[in-house]
Amino acid sequence: MKAQAIKPSDISKPLRYLSHIEPGDLPPLPPPYEDFNQKVITPLKEEKMANIETSLDDTVAIGIPKPKNKEEEEKYIRAFLSGLGKLFEKENNWGFLQPLLLSMEHCAKCQTCSESCPVFEASGRKEIYRPNFRSEVLRRIYRKYIKPFGKLSAKLTGDIDLNWTTIARLAELAYRCTLCRRCASVCPIGVDNGLITHEIRKLFSQELGIAPKEIHDKGTVQQLKVGSSTGMNPMAVKDSVEFIEEEMTDLAGFKVEIPWDKEGAEILLLHNAGEVLSWPENVGAFAIILQVAGISWTLSSESVGYDGVNYGVWYDDVQLARVAVKHAEIAKKLKVKKILIGECGHAHKALMVIADRVLTGDLNVPRESAMVLLDDIVQSGKLKLDPSRNNFPVTLHDPCNLVRLLGIVEPQRRILRRIAPKFREMTPHGVENYCCGGGSGFAIMSSYNFAEWRTLVSSRKKFLQILDAFKDEPLEIPKYVCAPCSNCKGSIRDILDYYRAKERSHIHYGGLVELIVNAMEGMKKPMIKFDEK
Amino acid sequence: MGLYSLTYLCCAVFVIAFATRIYRQFTLPVHLRWELYPVKHESSEKANYGGSYMEELNWWEKKRRRYFWNEIKYMIPEILFLRGVWNENRRLWWVSFPFHFALYMLIGTLVLLFFGAIFMVFGGTVSTGSSVILSLIYYLTILCGFLALTLGALGTAGLLYRRFFDPELKNYSSLADYFNLFIFLIFFIFGLFAWLFTDLDFAGARAYLYGLLTLGGQPEGHTGSQGFLGQISIVIASFLIGYIPLTHMSHMFMKYFIYHSVRWEDSPNLKGSKIETAILENLGFKPTWASAHIGADGKKSWAEITTSGSKEAK
Repeated sequence: MKAQAIKPSDISKPLRYLSHIEPGDLPPLPPPYEDFNQKVITPLKEEKMANIETSLDDTVAIGIPKPKNKEEEEKYIRAFLSGLGKLFEKENNWGFLQPLLLSMEHCAKCQTCSESCPVFEASGRKEIYRPNFRSEVLRRIYRKYIKPFGKLSAKLTGDIDLNWTTIARLAELAYRCTLCRRCASVCPIGVDNGLITHEIRKLFSQELGIAPKEIHDKGTVQQLKVGSSTGMNPMAVKDSVEFIEEEMTDLAGFKVEIPWDKEGAEILLLHNAGEVLSWPENVGAFAIILQVAGISWTLSSESVGYDGVNYGVWYDDVQLARVAVKHAEIAKKLKVKKILIGECGHAHKALMVIADRVLTGDLNVPRESAMVLLDDIVQSGKLKLDPSRNNFPVTLHDPCNLVRLLGIVEPQRRILRRIAPKFREMTPHGVENYCCGGGSGFAIMSSYNFAEWRTLVSSRKKFLQILDAFKDEPLEIPKYVCAPCSNCKGSIRDILDYYRAKERSHIHYGGLVELIVNAMEGMKKPMIKFDEK
Repeated sequence: MGLYSLTYLCCAVFVIAFATRIYRQFTLPVHLRWELYPVKHESSEKANYGGSYMEELNWWEKKRRRYFWNEIKYMIPEILFLRGVWNENRRLWWVSFPFHFALYMLIGTLVLLFFGAIFMVFGGTVSTGSSVILSLIYYLTILCGFLALTLGALGTAGLLYRRFFDPELKNYSSLADYFNLFIFLIFFIFGLFAWLFTDLDFAGARAYLYGLLTLGGQPEGHTGSQGFLGQISIVIASFLIGYIPLTHMSHMFMKYFIYHSVRWEDSPNLKGSKIETAILENLGFKPTWASAHIGADGKKSWAEITTSGSKEAK
């Protein structure tokens, strides 16, 4: 399909929208899903669109209120330029200044990145989703409005007009990229469009106070205030976990105990608190494995300490640092030897990689991926495993944050090779994987019709990959997509539901620890029950 | 002396511009980690599938090894043959590779001309009947120069064609992008004609280098003129030398920093390390971000802001 003739400079033009998906534009799905091939995004109702900015495409992620008058528009423009300037100051952006400068100054505009982007490809190659589109918009604004002699150099290096429409569209456009950084991995020079998107999000959050409410208000703000982005306070989480203990005791046939606030334990386990609510079996499976393996571990009931999420990693450095510091303070107080990060990709990246250069002194408590410890436990023989209990087709979804952004690729595979006789890889996989479509906050964003855009566009490539992994299996056989990441699971749950893949292809999903416990000998009941899920 | 002055000036711009760029890279604050796997200084096995040291149990207790040879093994085909473009954008490779390889050959030609000119300063003669080394320089110069000019002309013409007629590139191209390719094309065409019609063994070019080294001197037996075509080539080449480091084309050299300072920069922050010292310094910066939830006033440091929590969270 041919790319549309939208150019970066068109972002400031007063068009109804820059991009629109027509029936048949999206790459086709194979049988038995052809009936979805003409699906498009349900248009937003006029009354919902009246006061918010909707001129980018068929969906809305943020819902930025329209300025009331010209003065307010001018105010936004001044604030935007002020924030843009700050991105290039060490006092304001020491954390990403060098990577940003290198990516801003050396792009050859060869478009090699485009083919690697699952959103661009799965949208039917809509120009605005091309990885370099938003980067080029930012580069042009930066050169024209921030650099010396900008007005003159813009005539030579690419012009652009800065108005309210430009700003509003750019803010929305920053939430059409999952920050999977596949584009960066194929760039011949190493330019990182994902990073530029991340910096645009920061500019809007840190200077203009604009961010999707699921990530900011209900995300980091709620986490720091209440204790968890789920809204659970310490008492609520303890209640829920008590229920999980009972369930697991019933499943295992022996008393399963989930320790709280055990000072001096070896490990502080940080779950994504979403697991407690949506996938309690994951929390329970961890407890069974660690207990049977004889590991000294604990959960924390202190506010923030029972929720490993850190949405700041997607949009705001200050919020990122606040949550990371809180996690580290709790670990320090409990005197644990290390923090173990459960099945949550972005929590891995936030605490193990990004916050590595935020935490100093005693706050620098060692952090480890659960994949690594689980691999050690499984290979050590501490668990009695019977792989035949997992005798169904299994494929592995690689969370971008774990593989491409952290280099944790093999431990989870070694486990699956040991416990799942019918394990097969997706194509491509490992560091070349495709995002689940829910990365960078998309999995939890559902305002307006954004969830539908996610399912139809940003998750489409993943759905095609899943179908491809099981293409040689009969439809009626139960199949399992192992997704060791909470947000990825949420995203995969939504695509399987939307396309009715459970009914049509008997495809189920879940985490890695559930598969391990399912393979454990001596359990009273199976952990994975396909018919009940 | 006019041409020599221009070349000296352009070389000075080249050195100053690149020195400034490189100096800036070394003086920028230590940034947060943003690596991308595979990181090629891991062991061969890990570098192959993209694994990191964080795959090891209690990785912080183990000694980290960096395998520089694995970086080199990766970078040589990447730099010389544009392996990434070959793998990811084959259509572009057919025009991008000749252009980039021509630049390497051009650098090679300049180095050979330079060494030839040095030998001449000390009385040597670079020709077919000279010593083995000087004969080698003579023939290699012709080979490298020929490859540089022909591949360069073909590659640049191809890149220009793609930029004019491929909408994916055209929609993003600016006047400067066309100018950059156009000036390269003019250089390669003039250089090719100068070589073909007036300077088949690059003796004129070598004499110009000799003049540059001796502040305008002329090698014995040389008329001192490079001819019109040669002079045009020298003017454009000098301009390009000064111009490249001022543009995005500096990626040719700055790619080093993109890879080593960002993409493969996976050094952990260990207690008492230089990185920790640098971070503590960074945490002392006083941001001025304006959003209410940040709570920055230009007086509070990053350390104070990130440990205090936001107003909204209270």
